[in-house]
Amino acid sequence: MADELNPESELHVQNGRGHAAAWIHEHSPRQLWRMAFREDRFFLILSVFIGVLSGLSVVCFRFAIDWSRLYLLGTGAVLTPMRMLLAPSLAGLLIAVLVIHLFPTTRGSGVNQTKAALYIFNGNIPIRTAIGKFITAALAIGSGHSLGPEDPSLQIGACLASLLGRKMRLSRDRMRLIAPVGAAAGLAAAFNAPISAVLFVIEEVIGRWTAGILGSVVLSAISSVVVMRWFLGSESLFRIPAVELKNPTELIAYAALGVVGGLASVVFASGITTLRPKCKALPLWTQYLQPAIGGLLIGVIAMLGAPQVMGAGYEYMDQAMHGQFTWQFLAILAGAKIVATLLSFVSGTPGGMFAPTLFIGAMLGASIGGLQHIFFPHLTGSTGTYALVGMGVLFAGFLRAPMTSVFMVLEVSGNYSIILPVIVANTFAYVISRGLQPIAIFDLLTRQDGLDLPSMEEQREEDVLRVEDAMQPADGPVLEGEKTLDQALAELDGAKNDDILVRMSPGGWNSVTREQLTQLAGEGKGASKLGSLLPIRQVPYLHPDHPLEMALRYVDRWPIVPVVSRADFRQLEGVVSQRAVLERYREFGEG
Amino acid sequence: MLEKQEVMASPRLAKYRFYLRQRPTLLVVLSVVTVLFFLSVTGLAKIYFGQRESLGTRWFTRGLADLKAANYAAAVTEFRTALLYSRDDYSYQLNLAEALIGLKRTGEASAYLLNLWDREPDNGLVNLELARIARQQRRTDDAIRYYHDAEYAAWPRDEENQRREARLELIDLLLQNKDIGDAQAELIALAANVDDQPDMQKEIGDLFLRAADYEHALAAYRTVLRANRHDETAMAGAGYAAFQLGRYPLAQHYLGLATTTDSKDIRSAQLLQTADAVLHLDPFRPQISAVDRSKIVLDDFAVAGRRLSTCPLPKSSAPGPNGSSSSLDDEWNALKSRMNTVGLRRDPNLADTAMDLAFRIERETNVLCGTPSGADLALLLIAKLHEGT
Repeated sequence: MADELNPESELHVQNGRGHAAAWIHEHSPRQLWRMAFREDRFFLILSVFIGVLSGLSVVCFRFAIDWSRLYLLGTGAVLTPMRMLLAPSLAGLLIAVLVIHLFPTTRGSGVNQTKAALYIFNGNIPIRTAIGKFITAALAIGSGHSLGPEDPSLQIGACLASLLGRKMRLSRDRMRLIAPVGAAAGLAAAFNAPISAVLFVIEEVIGRWTAGILGSVVLSAISSVVVMRWFLGSESLFRIPAVELKNPTELIAYAALGVVGGLASVVFASGITTLRPKCKALPLWTQYLQPAIGGLLIGVIAMLGAPQVMGAGYEYMDQAMHGQFTWQFLAILAGAKIVATLLSFVSGTPGGMFAPTLFIGAMLGASIGGLQHIFFPHLTGSTGTYALVGMGVLFAGFLRAPMTSVFMVLEVSGNYSIILPVIVANTFAYVISRGLQPIAIFDLLTRQDGLDLPSMEEQREEDVLRVEDAMQPADGPVLEGEKTLDQALAELDGAKNDDILVRMSPGGWNSVTREQLTQLAGEGKGASKLGSLLPIRQVPYLHPDHPLEMALRYVDRWPIVPVVSRADFRQLEGVVSQRAVLERYREFGEG
Repeated sequence: MLEKQEVMASPRLAKYRFYLRQRPTLLVVLSVVTVLFFLSVTGLAKIYFGQRESLGTRWFTRGLADLKAANYAAAVTEFRTALLYSRDDYSYQLNLAEALIGLKRTGEASAYLLNLWDREPDNGLVNLELARIARQQRRTDDAIRYYHDAEYAAWPRDEENQRREARLELIDLLLQNKDIGDAQAELIALAANVDDQPDMQKEIGDLFLRAADYEHALAAYRTVLRANRHDETAMAGAGYAAFQLGRYPLAQHYLGLATTTDSKDIRSAQLLQTADAVLHLDPFRPQISAVDRSKIVLDDFAVAGRRLSTCPLPKSSAPGPNGSSSSLDDEWNALKSRMNTVGLRRDPNLADTAMDLAFRIERETNVLCGTPSGADLALLLIAKLHEGT
């Protein structure tokens, strides 16, 4: 009864009805349906489909590689000399014709093309590229060219994602992001390592951590790995040996492995960047022969006693990990694989660099492990541990993906105790490679192709200007908002600055000009508190560690912006002005 | 007319197009495409794995034939090829490991075996092979552990025999390492689990002999002889076991049979000689007359004297029975004058005193000059036989 008479109660009821109506409207099937298909959510759903389709494609790609190996190189583990020579050469001829006439965009590994789709082509990659990559890379790897299936898988995934994005009429922003989503799915399925794939795509293709894409990349990578494992099983690419660090002094051997791996990376990268443009500059008719000649030379290497260099070589990495080769032969295999991969890659044969990189690393690692075992048998862990660390070393040194390299080894080995050797060795390799070859291999290849894509490594190491770099001490006194206008004017006596900062109470900052203060005093408001006389909209403040770009948002509207301590927002550290910010940028630009 | 139809159709087409372009519709289409793709890949996978399986089996069969023919190098290549098509196949890996063991590449073999062990820790053959490798590499503790596992593991066929084989190898290893206690325990367990099969019993008997468990050894050989009375090895083994147990009449019996059956059995012949000597020189054996006993005591005393002359003992090397510090030589000389048939008849304790001295002389000279032979050895064995009586 009382409620009915109470107007406030009536209002509550009305408000309640309003909320309920709004809730019902928001949760109506139509609204829920619309929300589910909002682009950001739809993108997540699409990521799962991209993952599944990429996974299926990668499974088919694996089948294709194996079938082409069976029919070109034979069913036995020991190859006949005739097949060693003929298979890669004849396949090379066919690949050259296909690449020149049908699939010109399939040259190379595919990582840069995916990056180009993100930065240049608004996420568009023609599906023809995927088809071409599938056929040519399967032929190349299956016939014994020293290349791997991971980068092509990455590109096939990116192509599929791009196709789906186009068909689903995604916005331009989403289209740009969709290629990396597919790339992560393709790589994850090829490598059976979702974490490494996600990290690689973020580290090398996207170049930054953004929450908007991370979820999609992870979803697609996981779905593709699930599909791949459904068909091919969950086993790793090689049997993982017992991983152990026997003695802390062993870290010296791992450091040596890092040094050797770093130098090998530089040799490998230099070889590619030197020979590739020379091969490309040769007359067009030679392009038909280059993959065949590369294949023939690989066949010769195989005939000379190193058939292990043919193809991706995962089974031989497995054998190296389990101590089935002598350290001398392992070292020879590492060198031979560098030569073989150079021949395949610079001749324009489509295929990936991941597997050869891992192969070289595994052989170098196992070789150093074997050598160490001879001199310090009681201080050395298993050869397999060295091989695993070696893989990470080349990944860090050659592909220059230090974070991915660490996680890749952890993910592949499934053993956390390997982390210390991996970090030690990878750091040495990365530093040496970075020192001797400042530009990463993928960036060099992009520049050779005439593209200017952002270099993730350079971005990572670029100097960032901060507010503290343009900050200056406050010129003149800082007024307190609690004081009266007369007191404030008295404080200003003798000060020369026109723009004055006011510290408000209980928090915040404001600014006022000398002229405004004089005008307010003339209006007879001298006894009023300064804070009450100023406009409600306060001056934003910055902290010294903020990027300087942030100051640009404010300095055109406020002549001076306070820079305050993070511990006490009332404590002024300095001020920034538009002039000071621009001056700092000018100095920075001049180097 | 046509134009009119087109005009009529176009709004309908536009409507269809509109619905086809809607995201839910596209998603349904995408799902259908995905399912179809999935089914196609499933079919493809069946063909792919079927082909690989047949290739794997083909190479595996070749490998088995080469392994059987001890052509290990070819077998390794063939099993490796088979593994290309089925990397995780248990029997491919196991056979590859065996071929590698054949090539003495135990490091590689153990890598495969350890992998198999991780997958099936209770596989008998894997445990047995790992034990053998560990034994070769002198990792005794590992070897014992794997042998134990092999004993209680599952075997695909002929489980009892395989387990027995594993136990026999373990016993051999334990005996090699002089771990007699554990070896005896394993042997007793083994003996309890085998039937009266002569060959097995003979092997068990031999192992019991090596483990110095003569009682069980004798029992095992007797079981063999019950099945085949003419088994020379069992006769010799039983004779040896009885000899070691101090049952010289029994030893004499078996050793006699053994030497009669196999005249080339030198060890049995020597043991028989000793057993004969023991039985001949033992004055404490039952059912002999006082005269014969006196005669034997006199003979034993003389044997001990001769031993003293060939192996002179230092003065006061051992205290006499009364705690005196005179040498055994002095004691022997002191007793010599009383040692005759009359003296023995007059003094009923003289025989015991003389035999005690003879035993002490044999023991001391055994320590100083090494194990004797012939009558001295017999006397020493008699001393051992009557120790504490």
